[in-house]
Amino acid sequence: MLVPENTKCECGHHNSVGTVLCEYCGKPLHQDLQKSDEPLEMRYDGVARRSQKSNPSYIDRVWNFFSSVKIAIYLIVITFLTAMLGTIYPQESSFINNFDPSTYYRETYGTMGHLYYVLGLSHTYESWWFIGLLVMIGTSLVICSLDRVLPLYRALNKQQIRKHHQFLLRQKAVYKGTLNQDAAEWVSQYGDALKKKGYRIHREESGTALLAEKNRFSRWGPYINHIGLILFLLAIVARAIPGWQMDAYITIPDGDTVQIKDTNYYVKNEKFNVEFYADDELPEQLQGKARAKKYLTEAVMYKCVSDCGNPLKEPVLEEVKRHDIIVNSPLSHDGIKLFQFDFNLNPRLNAVNPVLEDKTTGEIYGPFYLPMKDAELHYELGPFTLDLYANYMEFALGSDGKPTTLSRDPNAPAFVFTVKGPGLHPDGEPYIYFPMQKDKVRFAQDTINRDLAERIEIRVDGMENVDFSEATTVLNVRVDRAVPYLWVGAVFSMLGLIMGSYWQHRRIWLRVDGAEVVLGAHTNKNWFGMRSDVAFGLKKTGIEVDPKSLDNGGKNA
Amino acid sequence: MSYVEFSSDAFLVAFFLYCFAFMFYVIAFAGKKWSNRDPIAHQRRWGRIAFIVSSTGLASHLAFFFTRWIGSGQIPTSNMYEFMTFLAMSIMIAYTIVYAIYRKPLLGVFALPLTIIIVAYAAVFPQEVQPLIPALDSIWLKVHVTTAALGEAFFAVGFAAGLMYLLRVIDYNDKTKNGRRAQFWLEFTLYSIIVIVGFIIAVFAFRGAGYEAEFTQEKVIIDSRGVQTETTSNVHYTLPPIFKPYNSEIVSVQPFLGVDKPLFEAPSWMNGINAGRKLNTVVWSIIAGTLIYGLLRLAFRKPLGAVIHPMMEGIDPEDLDEISYRAIAIGFPVFTLGALIFAMIWAEIAWGRFWGWDPKEVWALITWLFYSAYLHFRLSRGWQGLRSSWLAVIGFVIVLFTLIGVNLIIAGLHSYSGV
Repeated sequence: MLVPENTKCECGHHNSVGTVLCEYCGKPLHQDLQKSDEPLEMRYDGVARRSQKSNPSYIDRVWNFFSSVKIAIYLIVITFLTAMLGTIYPQESSFINNFDPSTYYRETYGTMGHLYYVLGLSHTYESWWFIGLLVMIGTSLVICSLDRVLPLYRALNKQQIRKHHQFLLRQKAVYKGTLNQDAAEWVSQYGDALKKKGYRIHREESGTALLAEKNRFSRWGPYINHIGLILFLLAIVARAIPGWQMDAYITIPDGDTVQIKDTNYYVKNEKFNVEFYADDELPEQLQGKARAKKYLTEAVMYKCVSDCGNPLKEPVLEEVKRHDIIVNSPLSHDGIKLFQFDFNLNPRLNAVNPVLEDKTTGEIYGPFYLPMKDAELHYELGPFTLDLYANYMEFALGSDGKPTTLSRDPNAPAFVFTVKGPGLHPDGEPYIYFPMQKDKVRFAQDTINRDLAERIEIRVDGMENVDFSEATTVLNVRVDRAVPYLWVGAVFSMLGLIMGSYWQHRRIWLRVDGAEVVLGAHTNKNWFGMRSDVAFGLKKTGIEVDPKSLDNGGKNA
Repeated sequence: MSYVEFSSDAFLVAFFLYCFAFMFYVIAFAGKKWSNRDPIAHQRRWGRIAFIVSSTGLASHLAFFFTRWIGSGQIPTSNMYEFMTFLAMSIMIAYTIVYAIYRKPLLGVFALPLTIIIVAYAAVFPQEVQPLIPALDSIWLKVHVTTAALGEAFFAVGFAAGLMYLLRVIDYNDKTKNGRRAQFWLEFTLYSIIVIVGFIIAVFAFRGAGYEAEFTQEKVIIDSRGVQTETTSNVHYTLPPIFKPYNSEIVSVQPFLGVDKPLFEAPSWMNGINAGRKLNTVVWSIIAGTLIYGLLRLAFRKPLGAVIHPMMEGIDPEDLDEISYRAIAIGFPVFTLGALIFAMIWAEIAWGRFWGWDPKEVWALITWLFYSAYLHFRLSRGWQGLRSSWLAVIGFVIVLFTLIGVNLIIAGLHSYSGV
C-alpha cells in the first residue's frame, strides 16, 4: 500500500491518510500515480477506507485482514472447493435409521470411503472448519461493508463539480475538444440533453463546469445485499437457540395416536391413503411399476390439557387441528409442521379377539380381546383362566436358544400364557400363542406346546375378529422458528442485487477552460451504456463522435 | 393433431431454424472477406438475416413449450428432456436480451451452436410426457426451475462471449510457456465440447441402427438386521458394451465390428444406479469425440483454436469482455432468486427444511459462490479480459456439472430427473 507523505492536495484540501484521489478536486495524491497516464482506479472514488491507518493496532490488524476483498475472495473460493468435497459420497445426515458411519463408509466405498470418514468429510457441512469458514465470510461481509460504505457515502455526498484535469483525462471514457460557441451556453445545452437521459445536473456558478449524475442509489446495492446476507447468516446462527429448531420422524400406524417428542402435542393418523397411477396414464417404460400419484395422511393434532407426563394416567387430549397431510401441504400448528415423509403398506396387527377351544369337550369359550400392546394380564374363560406370562413383539430365538424379541413393533407377536383349568396341572401349564398364521407355522406352535396343543387351542375365528392397520405413515416433524428471519435476509439480498446489477451509477464531469472542453465519465458497470450517453449529449450539442472513440483504454471495470 | 404432437413438430422446426441461423451467422462472419462486397454491409445484412431466422426459431421453440404445457397439463420442465429443451430456450431468450442491449449479432456465432448442442442433447432422453410424482407437484417447482434455468442461460451467454474472447485474443504464434499453456487449455475446452457432440452422435448413430444389448446384474444387499437379500435387475444398453455392469451376466449382445461380448467389467465401487452403463457411455463419448477431433485436426492440420482465431479478427475484444461480464451480472440475481431463494422456499414448503445439503443444493451453492467470486474478482486490477474470460468458461462448466453431472454421478433428491 502506498502511503503518501503529504495528504494535503494542491487545491488546499486536507485528505485523510490512505486517500488515493483528492476528495475535493480528484487529483491523484501519490507522486508516482501523478506521473503515470494510465486510467485511474476509481474504486470507492479513491477515498481512504476505515482500515487504512498509519499505525495499526492489534485490533486494526484483524480489521484490516477481514476488510480486504482479496481475503473475501479467498474465503469464498476455499468454501466452494471444500463444499465440493462434501458431495463425493453421501453425507451422514442423509441417512435416517440404523446407520453406523464408522463402518458404513468402509463397507460401501472401501478404503477411500474410510479415509473420507476419518478425514471428517462425511459430515463436511457440520464440521468446525466449514462452519468456521462461513463465520469468517460473515465477518468479512460485515467488515468489508463497514470499511467502505461510510467513506463512500461521504465522498458521494460532497462532490466537487470542477475536477482536476488529471482526474478527467484519466477516466476510462474521455472526450477532449474545442468549442466554437459560448462556453456557458454549450454547457447548459449539454446538461439539458443529459436531463432527458435521466441525469441530475449540477452546474458550477460560473456555468463552465458540470457534473451529471444518475442512479447513485445503485452504489448502495452491494451493501444492501451484504446486509441481507448477514441477516441470513445470523438467522442460521439463531437456530442454535433451544426450541428454535427440531427435526424428528414419527411413525404412526392407522388409528394410532403418538406424542410429538419434547412437546405437549399428540398426532393421530386416522387413515393413510395412497393412490397409484393407472397403467394407461403412464408412458410405456414406466408401465407395471407402482408410481404413486398421491399419498395422504388424515391427521389430527391434539394438545394435552391435563395429566400430561403422568405415567399412571392416560393424558387428557383436546383436538386443536385437523388436516389431510400430503406432500407440499403439511399440517401446521404453533410453529410445528408435520410433513408427509414416507409410508409403509405392510399391514400391522393391532388386536385380535381369539377364542379358546377345549378339544376334549369341543366347548368354545370367548372370544376375548387381546391387543398387541398393553394386553390384560389375566383372563377368565369359562372354567379356564389365562395369565399372561410373557409376550414378544417380534418373536425370534436368540443365539442361546432362548426366545427374544427383535423389535418393539408387532411384526411377529407371540404370547405365553399360563393356563389353568379342568384336566390341567393345578399350577397351570405354559401355552404359547402366535396370532399370525404365518408365525404359527414358522415357529411350529403346536410342537412347542406339546401335549397341551391336543387338549386346548387358542385361535381366531374369521377376519372380523382381527383388528389391523392397513398402512403406516411416516411423518417428519419440523420446527424452525428462524425461517421468517431468513426470508427477510433473502429479500434484502435480492433487493440489493437488483439495485446493483440492473442500474449503474453513471457520472459525467466536464469543464470548459476558454474554448477547451475536457470531459470524463465514470460508471461502475456497463461502459457501453456510459459512452453512448456521453456521445448522445455531444451529438445533441452538435459534436458527432463515435461512442467507441471515447474509450480511453484501461481495464478496470 | 394433439397439442403434444404439434409441439414435437414445432420443436423440430425450431431445431432446424437454429441450424440455419447458425449457418447464416457463419456466412456473416466468414463472408466478410469474400470479393466484390463491402464487408460492413455484408456483415450487417447477413447478421440481420441470421438474427431474424434465430428469432423465428425461438418463436417456434416457445410454441413447442406452451403447446406441450397445454397438451400435457403440466409445465414441461420435469424430466431431463424437458429441462434441457427449456434451458436451450432460455439461452436463446438470454441471447436475445443481450442482443437487444448491444446489437452485436456476432455473439450468435457461439450462442447458437451452444443452443443446438443442448437441444440435440435433450433429444437423447426419453421424450414422453411422464406424470409427476407428488413431490414435484407445486407452483414453486415451476417458478424455481424456470428462474434458475434463465439465470443459467445468462451464464451460458457469458460463457459464449468469454470463449469468443479467448479465441480472439489467444495468440497462436506465442511460443512462450504461458502462451502454450493458454493454447493448450483453449484447445482442451474445444475438445471437451466436441466430446459432448461425440456423445450425441454416438447415441443417435446406434439408436438409428437399432443397437441393443442386455445384461442381468446381481446385487447383494445386507440390511441392518444382517439379512442378506439378492436382487437381480436387467440393464439395458443402447451402445455396444465396452464395459459391462459389475457382477453381471450377458443376456444378449448384438455384435458390433465382429465383437459380441464386453471387453471389460465396471469396477465394483461403481455400484450406483446403472453405473456400468454410464461408464460405458462416457467411454463411447470420448472415443467418438476424439475421432471427430482427430478428423478435424487432419483436415485443418493445425489446432482448432488456430483455425477459428483468424475468423475473429476485427472483433473488439473489449466488447466481448464487457458482454461476457454484463451477461453474468444480469444472470446472477436471476440465478440467486431461482436456484437458491425459490429453491429454499419450495424445500421449506415440501420438506420443512429450506436447506438440506443435498448434492444438487450444494452444487447450486457452489455455482453461486463461484460467480460471486467472479464478480468480486472483476473489481480487482488485472482480472478483466483474459482471466475473467477463463472464469466465465470454468463457471459454465460448473453450471453444466450442477445440471447434468450431479444427476449422472451423484444421486440425491434430484435424482428423479436423471438418465
